[in-house]
Amino acid sequence: MNNLLHQTRRHFFSRCSVGLGSIALGSLMAAPAPKMRNPLEPKKPHIPARAKNVIFLFMAGGPSQLELFEHKPALTKLNGKPIPESYTKGKRFAFMDSSHRSDLLGSKIQFKQHGQSGAWVSDLLPHTAKIVDDISIVTTCKTDLFNHAPAKLYMNTGSGLFGRPSMGAWVTYGLGSECDDLPGFVVLQSGPRGPRGGAVLWGSGVLPTTYQGVPLRNQGDPIVNLSTPKDISVAQQRQVVDSVRELNLKRLVETGDDEIATRINAYEMAYRMQTSAPELMDTSGESQATMDMYGIKDPKEASFARNCLLARRLVERGVRFVQLYDTNWDHHGGPTENLEKHLPMKTMDIDQACAALVKDLKQRGLLDDTIVIWGGEFGRTPMGEVRESTGRNHHIDAFTMWFAGGGFKGGTVYGQTDEFGFGAVENPVHVHDIHATILHQLGIEHERLTVRSQGLDFRLTGVDPAKVLKGILA
Amino acid sequence: MTVKDVFFTTYLLMPPGSMKRLFLPLTLASLHLANAAESALQIQFNRDVRPILSENCFACHGFDPKHREAKLRLDTFEGATENRRGSRGIVPGNLKDSDVWQRIISEDKDELMPPPKSHKPPLSARQREVIKTWIEQGAKYERHWSFEAPQRITPPAVVGAEHPIDRFIQDRLAAAKLKPSPLADSATLIRRVSLDLTGLPPTPGEVDAFVQASAKDSEAAYGALVDRLLKSPHHGERWGRWWLDQARYADSNGYSIDAPRQIWKFRDWVIEALNKDMPFDQFTIEQLAGDLLPNATESQKIATGFHRNTQINQEGGIDKEQFRIDSVFDRVATTGSVWLGLTIGCAQCHDHKFDPIEQKEYYRLFAFLNNQDEPTLKVFDPHVDVSGLTAEFKEVDAKLKAYIKDHQADLDAWEAGITPAIKKSLNGTVNKILAVPKAKRTIEQKQTLFAAGVGGVGPFRELNDRHKELDTLLNQGVTTMVMKELPKPRKTNVFIKGDFTRPADEVTPGTPKVLHAFESPSQQPNRLDLATWLTSPQNPLTARVIANRIWQQYFGRGIVETENDFGTQGTLPSHPELLDWMATEMLAQKWSLKAMHKLIVTSHTYRQSSANLPELREHDPNNYLLARQTRLRLDAEVVRDVCLTASGLLSPKLGGPPVYPPIPDGVMGQGQVKRVWAVSKGEDKYRRGLYTFVYRASPPPSLTVFDAPEGFSSCTRRIRSNTPLQALTLMNDSGFYEFATALEKVIKKDGLETAFKRCTARNPKPDELAVLTKLDSLNQARTLLNLDETMTRE
Repeated sequence: MNNLLHQTRRHFFSRCSVGLGSIALGSLMAAPAPKMRNPLEPKKPHIPARAKNVIFLFMAGGPSQLELFEHKPALTKLNGKPIPESYTKGKRFAFMDSSHRSDLLGSKIQFKQHGQSGAWVSDLLPHTAKIVDDISIVTTCKTDLFNHAPAKLYMNTGSGLFGRPSMGAWVTYGLGSECDDLPGFVVLQSGPRGPRGGAVLWGSGVLPTTYQGVPLRNQGDPIVNLSTPKDISVAQQRQVVDSVRELNLKRLVETGDDEIATRINAYEMAYRMQTSAPELMDTSGESQATMDMYGIKDPKEASFARNCLLARRLVERGVRFVQLYDTNWDHHGGPTENLEKHLPMKTMDIDQACAALVKDLKQRGLLDDTIVIWGGEFGRTPMGEVRESTGRNHHIDAFTMWFAGGGFKGGTVYGQTDEFGFGAVENPVHVHDIHATILHQLGIEHERLTVRSQGLDFRLTGVDPAKVLKGILA
Repeated sequence: MTVKDVFFTTYLLMPPGSMKRLFLPLTLASLHLANAAESALQIQFNRDVRPILSENCFACHGFDPKHREAKLRLDTFEGATENRRGSRGIVPGNLKDSDVWQRIISEDKDELMPPPKSHKPPLSARQREVIKTWIEQGAKYERHWSFEAPQRITPPAVVGAEHPIDRFIQDRLAAAKLKPSPLADSATLIRRVSLDLTGLPPTPGEVDAFVQASAKDSEAAYGALVDRLLKSPHHGERWGRWWLDQARYADSNGYSIDAPRQIWKFRDWVIEALNKDMPFDQFTIEQLAGDLLPNATESQKIATGFHRNTQINQEGGIDKEQFRIDSVFDRVATTGSVWLGLTIGCAQCHDHKFDPIEQKEYYRLFAFLNNQDEPTLKVFDPHVDVSGLTAEFKEVDAKLKAYIKDHQADLDAWEAGITPAIKKSLNGTVNKILAVPKAKRTIEQKQTLFAAGVGGVGPFRELNDRHKELDTLLNQGVTTMVMKELPKPRKTNVFIKGDFTRPADEVTPGTPKVLHAFESPSQQPNRLDLATWLTSPQNPLTARVIANRIWQQYFGRGIVETENDFGTQGTLPSHPELLDWMATEMLAQKWSLKAMHKLIVTSHTYRQSSANLPELREHDPNNYLLARQTRLRLDAEVVRDVCLTASGLLSPKLGGPPVYPPIPDGVMGQGQVKRVWAVSKGEDKYRRGLYTFVYRASPPPSLTVFDAPEGFSSCTRRIRSNTPLQALTLMNDSGFYEFATALEKVIKKDGLETAFKRCTARNPKPDELAVLTKLDSLNQARTLLNLDETMTRE
């Protein structure tokens, strides 16, 4: 018997609580085999994979590498002096016409070396400092665009234009998902508002919407329209799903249209999601020790820390790509976003949880299979901004990200910047190189993961050559 | 391998570059065997060779000199046969001396073409056979098919087929030894054609009437039905959305701030133009250059909103010129894909790698679209007499001012008598004015004082009230975004690598040389000249592209599958003669779109059953030959419209400002700026999906989940996905739940069978009723709205 048909039957008999009812099984068998297509079915990678899943911790707004990872005594020494023109000649910055300035700004935060590797980490990140031997710190990341929304798009989709597939969409398109009751690409958010750019950051662009990120929400339904309407009981919902399936099956037999089989599958998954998504969000089974490790005070309250815990739970369930957005990292200075007061508030929000996530994944044996990425859309200038209090402008020539798990080499500091941290003097790392490296670890050759649209083979890494960063791989 | 196999294979590989090529059916190939036998096994360059070269060679040996390796180009005969220091890429008729052939068959990794580092696999045995035979036969080149004018041939004679479309389609089917499917039954047919022409399902009464009429005279009944539907005002809504996708219409500015904008007058213009069957050439000219027509009407100016549907970045700290230029890039790319079906945008950074379009030519097109001011236009309701009101306002205003001047003494007297108690009773604005020294007060301030004090009665009040009324009336019009030519054109330069900070040579407006000649009456050609050029009868592309895109709506796939790429990287047409016939027919019909609709929907090819029977499944699983219709999941807006109609809630109101039906909590909070979504009241809650307000950055989930575009860029074909989130939407969304409760009322009042028919246009069968009757009426209604059949055009 045809294999697919066999699967179809097995699917209905095993998965569904109600049998096939009055469906004319005989006629189904006589009909040509309908293809039960699950577009998220796991796919074979191009090359042997070092990792299966990704958790991308996105600090939206552009965290200041000069207050967190880049120890630059020269900057402190020359505080207030103009940056030599050789650095800035011909460069364009955000806010060119108003607040952008060229005087160097030394960091007031203390830095120490940590771990076996002796990596420099500032006192704002005491917990991250304890996991430096598990992470690869890259100080020479560079991007092409200096405004938030386009730069966020660039980091997520490899292009500053709206409407391209995001990395999570590409990865689920390339590899499918090993979870059959949750979406393959999930987005979690914390902070006072959504990230600039909004849903396009996790969009599927020219790929089918099946691959777009599904935001899991902390309030109301975790997924839009997840709950059964309040006047409908669970049993009634099941009855509706079953009746729809039976009637759709009859139609499938009459029309021979595979799309109906796919739709039957989609309704089953939707029904399973109605149970599995609330289960995922219910963290009451987690121990107090776990809660304490992440720094979760109230498990019911939405926070970055809780999102980190949810990220682990998602990866445990086989979800391919999890992305966390934490907003308000745009420290220009001024009354609401300055380096003295507001940056420490942000680092307090995230430091413990980021470190806990890496430790937790490690103790559960999940870190080998999971890439954890930390970073934002760009960094901040060595020059200060003239506003009421201290801040820095957007900076695209060198900023810091870190990577853990999934075959990345822990205890590495990669790349070298100049004395002010303005640009790379050694091993510059373009956003497309980061993308190529992540795909490589997942077993995908970035030049082969393409989709044809508008006469072009679109790919995450764009047209210019991108390289896999062997230097940060184990 | 026989030579016959060569043809077999080349057709199999026809659509270059896409995964789709793998699915091309064997039947197409076997069909070509028949044709091939007649043409003495001659290789055809465009059909057989070009796809192989384009996919494997042109990226490095094509039109773009900057990326050309070894100075060898294979896209022209001259280039391929040029003597390059003693070696020649191709020597016609001589395999041994043809480098191309020697490199293709080379076993040396460093010699082999395409090179392993290009990640392209070596040519297959069959592809090699094609190249080999082609070189042996003299390596003849042909110009790319779509750059040649369409050729109109008489449709082939086919027994039992009258309709020109059927004659082309059935001739091919016969060659593949396939037969067309029988006509779909009447109920299926009326639902199909109603959804296709108006986006709304038929009522049970309409179904019954049509079924009865068809039983008497099916041709007459169907003809009358089609005429009725084409006259329906809902036709413009259905096909308006088709055009709005291409126009990348939405109701907000996009990017991160995504503030709302007013441009719905453009949407209504499109609907009205299609309802009036405005000829497509005029439709084009008004949208691209309506403002430049002599004595341009308000309506023609509104039409220029087409190219204002680009995004506007309002983020802090940006370089405004950068984003203005981005919007011009978008306008060039959109014009290229919508009218020419070419990926002109590829030449933004470099010469096109596959099509003969130079980067300089790209910027010559850019120059047409670089000279605009981007204003808004105030538009009034047609029954408002704007000039009369304006004249009256002037008159009243003058009288009022004179009155105030003449009665200054009254004001002084009133002011002198203000006690602290009176002062307290006066509002803040008035008190602020009182604080201004008398001599420094403006006439408007005095007017306010008059109104607050002595002017409360008598002639001042009369004048003042009318003044206010007129002011309000004249400010009531809505605005819409339009184009306006700058008096002095901007300079346009080529941008190196598409980077606007790196301007190079200056260019003047012009069109690509590969297409028909551009003639301008003036020294400084403008958008009107561009629009005229696009709709010229000499243009080999526009009529084909539009005919193809209409076809695609009816069959789910164009005759050219890559509907936005008619260039060398696009797929070849599956029925080239039919496409050309339709393109020429469109011109013969003076660009009437309704004539094209009627032509297609009256064909047997359109009216046949969509059942995928085992025989067809085996021979043509993807239905390239159209031996059947194709079931198509409805577009996002139409899914909503069908459920609204079935449940009896639909408001048939046409046009007007966008509406805000209920959406799930929290979806407006995803973007950078939280936007308010004040749910519409009354019938506006139940308007057709195309009237729902669309914020580009946070579009309504029930539309995007069914693949409605967000308006970031031109969408010439929607994806049809099939996902669990769609199931959750139809089962649980509060809007769809409300439709179900309304459909439950129908069940209670008119019975389950009527409700079933309202969803599917057919009567349920006993076994279907048996499944449904196990449920209570509300869940029967929910089941009906969730059926695959309800959301599908059968």
